[in-house]
Amino acid sequence: MAATATAYVAGVRLRSIAGIWYRHALVLRRNLLTSAAWYFVEPFVILIAIGIGVGTLVNDVDGLPYARFITPGIIVGSAMFHAIFECAWGGFMRIQKGVFETTLTAPVSTREVAMGDMAWSMTRAILTAVCIGAVAAAFGWIDTVSSVGVLLAAALVGVQFGALGLIFAALSPNVHILSLTFTVVASPLYFLSGAFFPISVMPDWVEPLAWAAPLTPSVHLARGFVTGELGMSHLFAVLYVFAMTAVLFPIAVALLHRRLVK
Amino acid sequence: MDDRHSDIVIRATELTKRYGETVAVDGISFQVGRGETYGLLGPNGAGKTTTMRMISGLSPLTGGKLTVAGIDVTRQAREVRNVLGVVTQEDGLDTDLSAKQNLIVFGYTAGLSRADAEKRADAVLMFFDLTDKAQAEVDYLSGGMKRRLAIARAFMTSPQVIVLDEPTTGLDPQGRNRVWQELDTMKQGGVTILMSTHYMDEAAALCDRLAIMHHGKILAEGAPDELVNRHAGPEVAQVRVANGARQDVVDWIGNAGFDYRDAGAVITVTSRNGARPDLTGLEGVRVSYRPSNLEDVFLAMAGRTLTDDE
Repeated sequence: MAATATAYVAGVRLRSIAGIWYRHALVLRRNLLTSAAWYFVEPFVILIAIGIGVGTLVNDVDGLPYARFITPGIIVGSAMFHAIFECAWGGFMRIQKGVFETTLTAPVSTREVAMGDMAWSMTRAILTAVCIGAVAAAFGWIDTVSSVGVLLAAALVGVQFGALGLIFAALSPNVHILSLTFTVVASPLYFLSGAFFPISVMPDWVEPLAWAAPLTPSVHLARGFVTGELGMSHLFAVLYVFAMTAVLFPIAVALLHRRLVK
Repeated sequence: MDDRHSDIVIRATELTKRYGETVAVDGISFQVGRGETYGLLGPNGAGKTTTMRMISGLSPLTGGKLTVAGIDVTRQAREVRNVLGVVTQEDGLDTDLSAKQNLIVFGYTAGLSRADAEKRADAVLMFFDLTDKAQAEVDYLSGGMKRRLAIARAFMTSPQVIVLDEPTTGLDPQGRNRVWQELDTMKQGGVTILMSTHYMDEAAALCDRLAIMHHGKILAEGAPDELVNRHAGPEVAQVRVANGARQDVVDWIGNAGFDYRDAGAVITVTSRNGARPDLTGLEGVRVSYRPSNLEDVFLAMAGRTLTDDE
């Protein structure tokens, strides 16, 4: 039984990525119930608590009822958390347990390991977007047409933060430092992203910082699909995410390579 | 030289690995023939693992040349891993998957179709007597079973060559015996095996030939029996001594030109000329003789034991 899968695209062995993706899909299937909590319960509670709870105290924001205003940000934010968790936490564990090393003993390159993990972090981002979107749609907070656009924004976030997560995984010497990824990076980015209030209400000096933060353009993009008012700023948002991913990806590969192949 | 159809499967020439100022592997050369079981024997820090990692493509060479089945490890890193099965020192098992899923995912990633990977996993589990553990969580397997599963995983692609880093380190005697049995069966099946170990009994039991490594160099190479005969002679003396007289005894042995290892209860004495060490004249001790082994060879050549730390 010889190895047969030899399809390459631009020097990338496709089976490597498929194999890693398949691994992640099997893990999800094995842990379906606990995963359901991740995918449904937590965002569901946030959506209800803030959408209804805070929403009753708040007037329309930017012409949207508060629950409709926050739905795209919560979807995109959840996509970020899933991607970071998979690639930073999961990636770190796979480094520590020698799972990546084992994968590299197959005809797989470090670049393909990173691509496989990012393909899965994108998948997770899409899954969580679908789950939250379904709940929000049931409340009438998002419509079908705009949800497709929000899904796309979430998918981009999945790849972007997958690369960022792998960088943290490869750099962290231990779990204590790794945990900063969530407390010091992911959570502040979430609350500064404009998911819960318009960036314009921030003090002048915070505003540019908030716009430059990695999640903010994606929240802006997703909300653009909800309001239906798409313009140049949304195109810039897409370009921003692409550019950032293009920068982060080779860094992630180089750092992983340094950690695994020495 | 093209080894693709020759009987040399692994050819290492002046293989070197440096980490900054530290030389981990210092220009070693060796060849492993088809179907041969070749061992790297040496203490921790001798450069065995680094050598194995270079062969596996997990560590770039600093210098020298390395081919596996005629494929250059540096220039064709991916191709090498098509013919090579690697068992790293830590098992590298995926604890988020079942035992069988570990095999299937590896086989599929390595290039088998899903159906072939499934079939091959069943066959490999049966060969390693792990069929009833197929659905088990990896975390709940014993150390020996994890090791055998890791070896089974390397076997998924039916490789020509298996590279095993310390196959039984950390296993209980029962687990070791099982791994030895299975390696022996693999060997009978014609697989070429390169393994590293710091257990001289393991090297003697499994290897057709071995290289004794120390400080990144190969001190001696040959079949286990041949090495023992050449470097330690047929027999070594074991000297038991009362504590008070210990220093005098040790001095006497040293002055007589013998190598010795002072292991506390017993002083092991080897002669350098291949003859049985003659301790006539040494007073106040009990002397017995036993057949020499690879540990004695290492002692004779490196002046220290395999199990001492660097």
